Amino acid sequence: MKGRYHIIVQSSHLKYEFDIIRNITIIKGDSATGKTTLAELIREYTLNGTDTGITISCDVPCRLLEGNTWAEQLSLINDSIVFIDEGNSFVSSNEFASAIKGSSNYYVIITRESLHSLPYSVTEIYGIHSSGKYNSLEPVYHELYKIYSSEKATSSKPDTVIVEDSNSGYEFFDTLFKNTKCISAKGRDNIFSLLTDGNITGNILVIADGAAFGAPMSNIHSFVENKDNISLYLPESFEWLILDSVLLDNSDVRKILSAPEDHIDSENYFSWERYFTHLLIEKTEDSYLKYTKAKLNPAYLHEKSLNAISQKLPKLLLDLI
Amino acid sequence: MLSIYFGDLKDSIYNTSSYFKFNYEKEWLTDPFVSEMIKDVDDSVVLGTGAIDSPVMGVIAPVSLSGGVKTLILIDKVTDKVFNASNCGDNCAKWILKIAEKKDITINLRHIMNFGKETFSAKILNDDVIVSSMDELIPIAGRYV
Repeated sequence: MKGRYHIIVQSSHLKYEFDIIRNITIIKGDSATGKTTLAELIREYTLNGTDTGITISCDVPCRLLEGNTWAEQLSLINDSIVFIDEGNSFVSSNEFASAIKGSSNYYVIITRESLHSLPYSVTEIYGIHSSGKYNSLEPVYHELYKIYSSEKATSSKPDTVIVEDSNSGYEFFDTLFKNTKCISAKGRDNIFSLLTDGNITGNILVIADGAAFGAPMSNIHSFVENKDNISLYLPESFEWLILDSVLLDNSDVRKILSAPEDHIDSENYFSWERYFTHLLIEKTEDSYLKYTKAKLNPAYLHEKSLNAISQKLPKLLLDLI
Repeated sequence: MLSIYFGDLKDSIYNTSSYFKFNYEKEWLTDPFVSEMIKDVDDSVVLGTGAIDSPVMGVIAPVSLSGGVKTLILIDKVTDKVFNASNCGDNCAKWILKIAEKKDITINLRHIMNFGKETFSAKILNDDVIVSSMDELIPIAGRYV
């Protein structure tokens, strides 16, 4: 499944309205914001339809997945948006990750746990904001808000840059930050321990692929939110940074990046990061910029390429180079 | 005293709403401490043992309270079991600390709950250490969740 889905779930007294654009969306946040009520509305509508007085407006079916028989239920659900309420321990299992990889469904998972088996984006983690009161003329309105930003900037020049990637992305940033110590974390799940073990001091900049950084983000955000010496830069991926730069100057790519959700099929790509890698390889295949993930083509390290790609970095980050 | 086990814990009650549904005692709701928790977290007023006035849902039954406040009530009232407190948002954290002032409790967390900027005392069972701030708790907890 691909595309953006506008969802309105409504009863006499409650209304939820939001868009879902990727295969995995997480909802968390404070208690008593209406997360479970949303799941209950979808459960009731699925079981009893319009008899409930609930209406669901969406271009594809919305379903609720729950309990120990989740795998059997899921085997019957296709091309739908599948909601999962908190209290379902299977969401953190490898079995669940295997089951939804290559699935034609989108998944909206209500949980505060970091789901390390799933590659979800930092920008698709939401809380629920509500306005209005019961008994007013209008239903109590609920909408989603993003919990994390893909950037946390400080004005201090970094003493150390930590790059999630160990291959092409690391080679690029190691060259770009030529006068700064640059180290590879060799994977997203190692960044938290690098930040917290106390061996790296001074100002730190972390660069990671935001498209699949949702799971480690919660812990890292807890650690860095009050620390002025740590900056985060989480673009979709290194490959996205190249695609979005003036280096390629390809109108097809520009069109795709304006609405990636219309081009990325959840059955083929577990995360957007993988799609952007595939797209960059495809679009540079017969050119001097031929891209491979394992070893960076030296053409990307020429001054012209460095300048073109780095222009996509946030201005505050550019000033620090 | 508050004790916390981070990560998967065999025999902890993971689905606290389900446990509450079949095990809550109606007298719990009219306990002033519980009523205060419900007012603070859910912004709801306990009308009696079986009815709560919610600003969003109208008059509701106890099973329709938020997952967070139901978990808080279980932590307070059923101290011989360990509950998954990751069903509680950060707006429940101060109540976990208040319960722990009254009695020894053990909770299971599958995420890093924010206990606030003030000092507190909690024993992290995974490492058998006592922490007194989020700065001390986060590096330890992050290894397990």
